[in-house]
Amino acid sequence: MSTPAPTTLLQTFVNLSALLTGIDAGKLAPQIDPKNIKQVYFDYASAAQPGCDFYKLLAIYAANATLPPAQIADIIFQQSGTNICYMARSVMLMWYLGSWYTPEDLQKTGTNKAPPDSVVISSAAYTQGWAWNVAQAHPMGYSNFQFGYWANNPPALSDFVGGAGA
Amino acid sequence: MSTIMPQYDVVIVGAGVCGAMIAKQLGLAGKKVLILEAGARIPPNNNDFMERFYKAVAKVPEVPYTPDVFTPAGSLTLTDPASLNAGRPNTMTLDATTWQNPATAYLIQDGPLPFSSTYERIAGGTMRHWLGTSLRNVPNDFKMYTAYGKFVDWPLSYDDLEPWYERAEWEIGVSADKSTQGYLGITFPPNYQYPMQPIPASLVDDAVTQAVTGQSFEGIPLVVTETPAGRNSQPYQNRRVCAGNTNCIPICPIQAKYDPSVTLNMALDTGNVTLMSQTVASEIIVDDNGQVSQINYLQYEDNLGPVSGKGSVTARRYVLAAHAVETPKLCFMSTNQGRTPNGVANSSGQMGKNLMDHPLYLAWAQAPKPVFGYRGPLATSGIESMRDGAFRTDRAAFRIEIGNEGWNFSIGDPWTTTLDFINGMNASQLNPPPPGSTASPALWGPALVTALNNGFSRQFRLGFLVEQSPEESNYVTLSKTAVDHLGLPRPQIVYDLSPYTRAGFAAAKQTASAIFKMMDAVEFTTPPAQNDPSAFDVIIDGKPDRLKFFGAGHIVGTYRMGDDPGTSVVDANQRSWDHKNLFLVGSGTFCTVATANPTLTIAALALRAAQTLIEDLG
Repeated sequence: MSTPAPTTLLQTFVNLSALLTGIDAGKLAPQIDPKNIKQVYFDYASAAQPGCDFYKLLAIYAANATLPPAQIADIIFQQSGTNICYMARSVMLMWYLGSWYTPEDLQKTGTNKAPPDSVVISSAAYTQGWAWNVAQAHPMGYSNFQFGYWANNPPALSDFVGGAGA
Repeated sequence: MSTIMPQYDVVIVGAGVCGAMIAKQLGLAGKKVLILEAGARIPPNNNDFMERFYKAVAKVPEVPYTPDVFTPAGSLTLTDPASLNAGRPNTMTLDATTWQNPATAYLIQDGPLPFSSTYERIAGGTMRHWLGTSLRNVPNDFKMYTAYGKFVDWPLSYDDLEPWYERAEWEIGVSADKSTQGYLGITFPPNYQYPMQPIPASLVDDAVTQAVTGQSFEGIPLVVTETPAGRNSQPYQNRRVCAGNTNCIPICPIQAKYDPSVTLNMALDTGNVTLMSQTVASEIIVDDNGQVSQINYLQYEDNLGPVSGKGSVTARRYVLAAHAVETPKLCFMSTNQGRTPNGVANSSGQMGKNLMDHPLYLAWAQAPKPVFGYRGPLATSGIESMRDGAFRTDRAAFRIEIGNEGWNFSIGDPWTTTLDFINGMNASQLNPPPPGSTASPALWGPALVTALNNGFSRQFRLGFLVEQSPEESNYVTLSKTAVDHLGLPRPQIVYDLSPYTRAGFAAAKQTASAIFKMMDAVEFTTPPAQNDPSAFDVIIDGKPDRLKFFGAGHIVGTYRMGDDPGTSVVDANQRSWDHKNLFLVGSGTFCTVATANPTLTIAALALRAAQTLIEDLG
């Protein structure tokens, strides 16, 4: 069993993730959170990080958290070096797809069409992937909807991702 | 002559849909049955299957069921088929580097094109990952020679099979309304009803319906029809109602979709049926009178481990139900010291020949407004009006399946598009570089959500199941060099698509583009890579083109039935012409592949063969 991250660091991770993904922090890490996927992801990124880039990314966010989101994003993606940029992308993909794509592979892939390698973090991570929610759907093979729902329009995007639905 | 009493009334090789359905009927009739299953038994629940699916990087149809085909399970590293006791093909071995490499591909493929469909060796069979589509053949499918001068007629008609279709629909549990299914000559008795009400159409179906209703292509009306489905629209057989998990292939997580483990369990519950799993039939012994006298088998405990046992079993009747590749393989392996030099049941020389599939043309597009894919069963409607017509004298027919899974099948979404927008790529074509730039944008925050939602919610695809012509030059035989871990020869395949089939495939492409135009949809179908082995060149409207085909998983035609022992392997009752106590069942007996997904016809023929067996046994 992993050691829980200090609350402040974990909350920093959640807030950073909300900024990057566009998903409301309350959706990423709800108050009642039996899956606690944020902890799974925090632990996974902590273990996978090369050169402490994950912690550097958290520190960069924490130091700039009061700035407007666009400025924070500019600092992460444009001003903090390639390693931080791709670590941020790895974190985003982790939330969206429940899989880990290494920053190195993402960087190497560039504009190639061939997808980089990845690892499914866990079965729970697959079922908590946000790409499905952004599609106003559900993970294939994991639905809480009822018979016939597909004949009707889905709930609003904001119901899935929180806030104003991007 | 032996005076030993046979151990069983019937021995069945294979615990797929045919083996299960025949065993259940025989068991209910009080007959003693033994099933030899090459693969694993039915697990107590599907939890391991689901866990493998969730954790697999490549969520291909086989992945829940074939833990030993990948090392480790869920990875992309293929196990050498020579180290597997019950090897099987899988869709990860169809690219340029793997399809003809015996260290990766179980099938030894001579080409010129890859045979692209796969099958399982496991209790429940390949139908573990069927879609659930439960269409009947149309009447002309049974008489292609009489109606169009093409190929051969089946030795039975639609009317002969109609009562068995009914029984199959009730065994599977099909949801449909017969008022929508009486097209192209299909008829039902006045009082017949499907077991359950139809599955509701999806929003994708609605969008296609609105656009094509009243339209035609090359004089053929385009009519969208609900698809009869082997999934529950109400509780049935102690199974739940479909919750639209959008995962019929590879696995329904709540078993609302029928699979043969349902019937197999019922068969075992009769108390008259025994299943021996991890038991590979290795030889059929024929006595001096031309009757099958026993079947030999090898056993293993671990698919990668040594032989753990061997033996033989006797019965009054024998049934081969090991699907259209392994059944001929077993017959070819059984030469009986030269008494059946070309294999069991093969005096006609037709064993292994006429291998067919539904080569599938896949086309994908974005609708002008959201259609909300990734919801509901994988397919709920299709265009069936192009399955028959005078054009069949010249080119293959097809049915059109409307997909509800966005571009999952088409490009591997949502992974591909998500990667594109986060990592600044454009594999999906949805994230092109902005004007004046060569780089696709990498998005974050609300713009990312908006772009992904806009991309995903308008995706849909059409799948065209093209009728492949029967050709003796497409065949299964035994490899002379490649063996499995038991030392048994692996199947060797020669496969191509005829001009007739390719012409139907070209018509499929033209029809797809026409439908997309009717919908004001933007087509994104991409041409195959030049080194993709599952592609061929055609001329369409005077222009060269290159089309990719997928396997539909519909392996058909390698031990055809017929009226003439000289040109067919079994008769209309699926009984071997050569050995009167041997039956060969399954889609291998089909004379033509038609355009319907084959499962319902497979089941109907199996139930009919079961009745013959019961009458035979007395």
